Amino acid sequence: MDAIRVHRFAERYFSANDCQIIERSPHHLKVKLSVKVDKELINRPFYWMYVEKMNLQPNPTTLNLISKPEKAPEGFNGEFLSFGTPRFRQILQSAINQGRFIRLYEDKTPETNNPNNSSPYTPWFGVNYKLSYICDQKKDELLSLGINLYDGQIKSNFYPQIKQRIWTPKIPAHRHIIRPRFQLIECLGKLENFIEEHIKKQDSTWAREAKKRLDQELKQVSLYYPEGESETGTEAEKKQRIQEIYWQYHPRIEVDIINAGLFYLDPR
Amino acid sequence: MQSVPIKIDRTWFSTFQNCMNQDSGWATWEQFQLAIEAAEAQTITDFSELSCLRYITDFTPLPHQIKTAQRVINEMRGRAILADEVGLGKTIEAGLVFKEYMDRGLVQNALILVPSSLVLQWTRELNQKFRIPAVAQKKAWMWDKHNILVASLDTAKRDPHREKVLAKHFDLLIVDEAHKLKNRRTKNWQFVNEIRKKYCLLLTATPVQNNLDELYNLVTLLKPGHLGRPSNFQSTYVSDKRTPKNEKELRAEIERVMIRNRRSDGQIAFTKRHVHTVPIQLSKEERQLYDGITQFIRHRYQSGPGSVKNMLSLIILQREVCSSRDAAFLTLFKLFQRNEQGKKQLSPEVEHLVQLLRNVKTNSKIEKAISLIKEIKEKVILFTEYRATQEMILRALAAEGIPAVPFRGGFQRNKKDWMMEIFQKRAQVMVATEAGGEGINLQFCRHIINYDMPWNPMRIEQRIGRVHRLGQKHDVNIYNFSTQDTIEEYILSLLHEKIDMFRMVIGEMETILERLNMKESIERNLMKIVLEAKDDEEIKERFSEFGSMVQEIKDRPNEKFRSQDVL
Repeated sequence: MDAIRVHRFAERYFSANDCQIIERSPHHLKVKLSVKVDKELINRPFYWMYVEKMNLQPNPTTLNLISKPEKAPEGFNGEFLSFGTPRFRQILQSAINQGRFIRLYEDKTPETNNPNNSSPYTPWFGVNYKLSYICDQKKDELLSLGINLYDGQIKSNFYPQIKQRIWTPKIPAHRHIIRPRFQLIECLGKLENFIEEHIKKQDSTWAREAKKRLDQELKQVSLYYPEGESETGTEAEKKQRIQEIYWQYHPRIEVDIINAGLFYLDPR
Repeated sequence: MQSVPIKIDRTWFSTFQNCMNQDSGWATWEQFQLAIEAAEAQTITDFSELSCLRYITDFTPLPHQIKTAQRVINEMRGRAILADEVGLGKTIEAGLVFKEYMDRGLVQNALILVPSSLVLQWTRELNQKFRIPAVAQKKAWMWDKHNILVASLDTAKRDPHREKVLAKHFDLLIVDEAHKLKNRRTKNWQFVNEIRKKYCLLLTATPVQNNLDELYNLVTLLKPGHLGRPSNFQSTYVSDKRTPKNEKELRAEIERVMIRNRRSDGQIAFTKRHVHTVPIQLSKEERQLYDGITQFIRHRYQSGPGSVKNMLSLIILQREVCSSRDAAFLTLFKLFQRNEQGKKQLSPEVEHLVQLLRNVKTNSKIEKAISLIKEIKEKVILFTEYRATQEMILRALAAEGIPAVPFRGGFQRNKKDWMMEIFQKRAQVMVATEAGGEGINLQFCRHIINYDMPWNPMRIEQRIGRVHRLGQKHDVNIYNFSTQDTIEEYILSLLHEKIDMFRMVIGEMETILERLNMKESIERNLMKIVLEAKDDEEIKERFSEFGSMVQEIKDRPNEKFRSQDVL
């Protein structure tokens, strides 16, 4: 992310999380944090414990941030915000924490104006997964999946497909939801099967190579520390080294979610 | 692929169901989108790319540093010896590797073990250059409190720290000055061997100093068995302690765990050094003082049973006279205080010296320095060995209206930084008594005046190294002041003409002195020559012999040290 995108992201993040932007330009921000954001960005648990115990008026921090030092207003002192800074990392992490679960209805006027008619919504369960392929190196893959709770159909690239639609958190008048035929937990299982199938289709050279390295190192270690001999080191040392080799090379895949939601889509 | 275990997290699902059941805790659409964008920004979809370069904005790593970091990650799998020659940026390379692993979440906790004098510098570099939140370890409780610690090896290996370190797992262990781990029978080696670590970087400019075992021990810390068992190693690769056999195979094995960039590789562009000798003629009075002191010293040496230490301090006096009257005065004063105390009258010998000192009204050297600085017009760093000289120079520059700042080794860190900043922004001259630590980078300056000369070549190297380093964009001028017909001229001719010290690459002198076994004692040895010599001719002669010895090692690396050929 360049300076402009960092700045824009930070500004959107603060607004979306009830912070009060006091002063702004495309290159700097002065923002009074909300209590929630203060707790996530400013590390002061004792203060919050104290305020809450004593039932005091909380006084959240005001942050001065500068994304382009040479263009910030004269005399404005603040911390530099760029993609690599610990502060921006916190903001990214907090953005992920704050945007986990959602339930939305598509905001689209029904076709008929007849007040006695009700138009249906199709229920979808959307989950954004992060797949990490790990050995001594690591790569990530984002997988946005959606499953239709009525007919069990799975769509990949789900989020990009619904991104442009208009949403509302409350179910509008004259609308009803088609009754799901599948339970949520069932659908979760289907998504997980889908992921396993997806992984099987991926090139697994990386894992085979890592396994090869692991075996090679294990072989070296067993030659270096032969059974019942202590010229080169103790059993404990050997065991530790073997653990380290697994720790370093052992190929594995970890699947976590970024966020998930229930989306009620207008079927048209 | 069947055999890769997959772990799918499901712990979130109950929270999700709670949101549904209670119809609360939902995020907004904007928050949901921000979360996805944040995750996308942090996602690295490629195994091998050095993605951390995107986040490094405070400096530009050099091509050889980037290449090294990539090799460490992609070929050496995070266990490597970084053995660049001095001044090529091993710290930067280690920092790049560290940062990359951190960004990918492969390293969350790390330990950096360094000599205690470098703890703060490492902490600062990691924070400032790489924005890695490293903390300097000071107290034992800090081991449990922080994820990324920079600690002194000597402290960490002792209880209560040792126990804490060995109880932890470190995703990454970095050891700087790793030649301190060359002997596997030492506490250092055993301690580092016992630390539980995933990735490990050992940094040293001298992976082999004397014999091949040293290299074997370093490699064994990273990968036990990589060079076989000790007995295999001996029989396969060592013909005698210092001479390798099967050199080609050994070199190939070592290249798999060690990277050594050299200045001579050509990919690293250093600017040129121009060395100028600036002769200084003493005035009549100054000459009388110098001769008077020389006589005084010879007389003392020949007549008295003095300790060597006392005698050597007399040589210092002689060197000081070449630097400035002020420097000599202070030493003379102390000397007399000690020797002449209780006497009602100064001995005639001393009386004479004091008179000579009083007679000196001019200062040939500072006059030359001022005219040179005016001629140069750009920024100049001027080094002297003596505090008294430093103060005299600062006064003289002030009288001429030339803005100057002082610099001393004893300054606090902040004051050092502050002085550097003033020098960069406002002053023309920095007058320094000491080259300062590694953190002192003055690449914006390209003129060095050696107002007087340290007799220890390592210190000369340090002086030059402050200015002539990576990042220097211009050729560097070195002006050496040489007071004619004094020991200053002799020592300079030894260092400059005989050894060609000023054109040597950084680190070369260290290796030579180590081989001569004179790393600690070179200055003393040279002073002894001066002291024992009957006259100036003999000094010149014996300096010349010494110079030839150095030259020989430099030109024809001794057969005895073939062990370094494998690097």
